[in-house]
Amino acid sequence: MKTPRDILFARHQTAAPELDAVRRSVVIELNNKGAKAQSGSENFASSCLCCLDQIWLELVWPCRRIWTGLAAIWILIFIVNFSQRDSSQVHLAKSSSPAAMTMTLRDQQKLLNELLADRSFAADAERPRIYLPKPRTETLELLTV
Amino acid sequence: MPEVADIEQLPVSQARAGEPAAWDALFRRYQLPLYVYVFELVRNEQAGLDIVQETFIAAVKHIGSLREDAKFGSWLFGIAHQKCIQRWRKRREVLFDQIPESPDEFEDGPDDLLIQRESEAEFMNLLNQLPLPQRSVLLLHFIEDFSLEEIARITEAQLGTVKSRLHYAKKTLRKLLEAKNENTA
Repeated sequence: MKTPRDILFARHQTAAPELDAVRRSVVIELNNKGAKAQSGSENFASSCLCCLDQIWLELVWPCRRIWTGLAAIWILIFIVNFSQRDSSQVHLAKSSSPAAMTMTLRDQQKLLNELLADRSFAADAERPRIYLPKPRTETLELLTV
Repeated sequence: MPEVADIEQLPVSQARAGEPAAWDALFRRYQLPLYVYVFELVRNEQAGLDIVQETFIAAVKHIGSLREDAKFGSWLFGIAHQKCIQRWRKRREVLFDQIPESPDEFEDGPDDLLIQRESEAEFMNLLNQLPLPQRSVLLLHFIEDFSLEEIARITEAQLGTVKSRLHYAKKTLRKLLEAKNENTA
């Protein structure tokens, strides 16, 4: 003797593989959705990486020799720049003893004063003369003298 | 063969959190009972599978509308029942009939009707002869041993209506089986 439930279930047991497939399809879809939602934050990083990768492939890689050449030139410029700066700094450091410094400063100040004095004199000489009209009698006096 | 609902152990709360493994366990538990119920109503294998799939998808989508985890089974059957009704409506079949309400002393269990091995095919044949509303109620009673309240909720019918449907369905089935047995004897 069987219960109605036993009979019903036994009758449809053959549909189990199809039902498993249906269940799996729904769960897989759920899994995919979950993965999409979970990786929402990771998406930003991955898209950034993807973008960088694309830039590398489309911009840098095809002209890699040019970019390498440019990089080498820039490196050379930096090296030369730094080496020159270093040598001038060393030169300054070498020549900058306190006594010599004061001496050179005094000399420079003296030179500057002289230059300024000459300049003021020269400025007077070079100043344009302003013509002031005088009475005719005065000019005649000047002529006779 | 699947056991009758062991609701305490079902991972409904994990399913609410969107865990695929929990959904897999729930679907595994209910796939055959649900298919049996749907198939015996629509009488079409492909339609039955489609409705089970639609039910699973709708369950995932609308799990937020489930108020009590313990009622997951009846809630899921309710979705499947609605899907069957939608299908019937498309076919313009007559769904509801007026059955007088039964007395309140209805206390039969799902296993009170025992069927002999040689009468199994006959039982299925008789089950299919029942009107759809009676068949629906009887199937829910047989398959998952749902309470009358749960069946009323699933089928969206009044409690009294469910009682009377179940009463008359069982009475009719028993009568037909007895008549069949007498004839064979």
